[in-house]
Amino acid sequence: MRRRRTKPPNRLARIASAEHLFLAGVVTIVAFLFQGDLRVRIAQVFAFALLATLAGKRIRWGYFVVMVSSITAFHLFAPLGRILLEIGPLAITEGALRQGLQKGFAIVGLVFISLFAVQSNLRLPGTVGGLLGRLFFYFERVLDARGSVRAKALVASIDQILFDVYPPGGTPEQAAPSPPRGEQAARTSFGGAALLIVVAGGCVVLAILF
Amino acid sequence: MDSRQHRHEVPLELIAFFGALCLFFSTLEYLIPKPVPFFRLGLANLPILLALSFMPPRQILLLVLLKVIGQGLVGGTLASYVFLFSAAGSFMSALVMLAAHHLGGRAISIVGVSLLGSLASNVVQITLSVTFIFGQSSWIIAPPFLAIGVASGLVVGLFGRRFQERSRWYAAIAGLDAGSIGHPEGPYEA
Repeated sequence: MRRRRTKPPNRLARIASAEHLFLAGVVTIVAFLFQGDLRVRIAQVFAFALLATLAGKRIRWGYFVVMVSSITAFHLFAPLGRILLEIGPLAITEGALRQGLQKGFAIVGLVFISLFAVQSNLRLPGTVGGLLGRLFFYFERVLDARGSVRAKALVASIDQILFDVYPPGGTPEQAAPSPPRGEQAARTSFGGAALLIVVAGGCVVLAILF
Repeated sequence: MDSRQHRHEVPLELIAFFGALCLFFSTLEYLIPKPVPFFRLGLANLPILLALSFMPPRQILLLVLLKVIGQGLVGGTLASYVFLFSAAGSFMSALVMLAAHHLGGRAISIVGVSLLGSLASNVVQITLSVTFIFGQSSWIIAPPFLAIGVASGLVVGLFGRRFQERSRWYAAIAGLDAGSIGHPEGPYEA
């Protein structure tokens, strides 16, 4: 029998608030985009992957390998610079290969930064932020009821969930404020602050040096 | 029922609920095995397709905004290219579906509206891929992706029509006046 996989713990959320993680992510993104050295950029991508794993995200490595490979492959069709290798009619050039890898790792790096910097309980300001709170309130209730969806009576079973969670014109369940989602630290600990400064500051320094 | 007649402002609480349904369908889609990594069925667009019949365009666009931000927060992709692709595809799809629904009248069914929305989303995403990621040589992938768009648009549209015809909840929500479908306890009443 297949065992159900448990969700990995979000270790970053225990030491840093969602707002501080997001702020550090924004600084990191800017510095990462200015990184010109391919080797440094690749090393950064692996560091971001580690941080995303610490944030409880499962990395689908196959997806990202296909992503970098396909971006690089498409760039190879437009030759640029010194020829490194010729495979039939296709000339693999240094400039095109470098450009493809730079772009591929940039795209994947941005996803990894986003995975560790954006927490689901990040509070956005204004009406949209308030509506998102309500959205997650209902989302959790719909998710709780998903087990009662039956393939044989699909529409009827979905209908039942919808009537339970959002009865039209009836008395709905008490719309309590959205509960906190995930394992969120209200404040950033000293260790969390140090980690965020090292990550974001380190990327800025690397962008200046290389 | 020609639901084009009902175009009252609905309570913001109902928009938040439809946003939650978008996230729910997006979660379901994540569980479905995909033949290629970039393939998307677009199930999360189903609540938007259903809302076209009774929400005014301004509120449809607010629903799309909630959907893309909600997906970005749940998936952690808010600060990446995935969000840009999702936002551009979703908004273009919604605009095309709104235009088709309002201008097409009875000539375009919900299946046709879904098909057009899916194609619009795919065209935008292919254009962004070519411009920012893969380069000009990647136009070669356009035909299979558009074919996938047609197939997924049909699947979502057919399910939407079936749901529209059979759901008692949908009939009640789409047929009632705005004032009677709000949640009195919610902070966002009409």
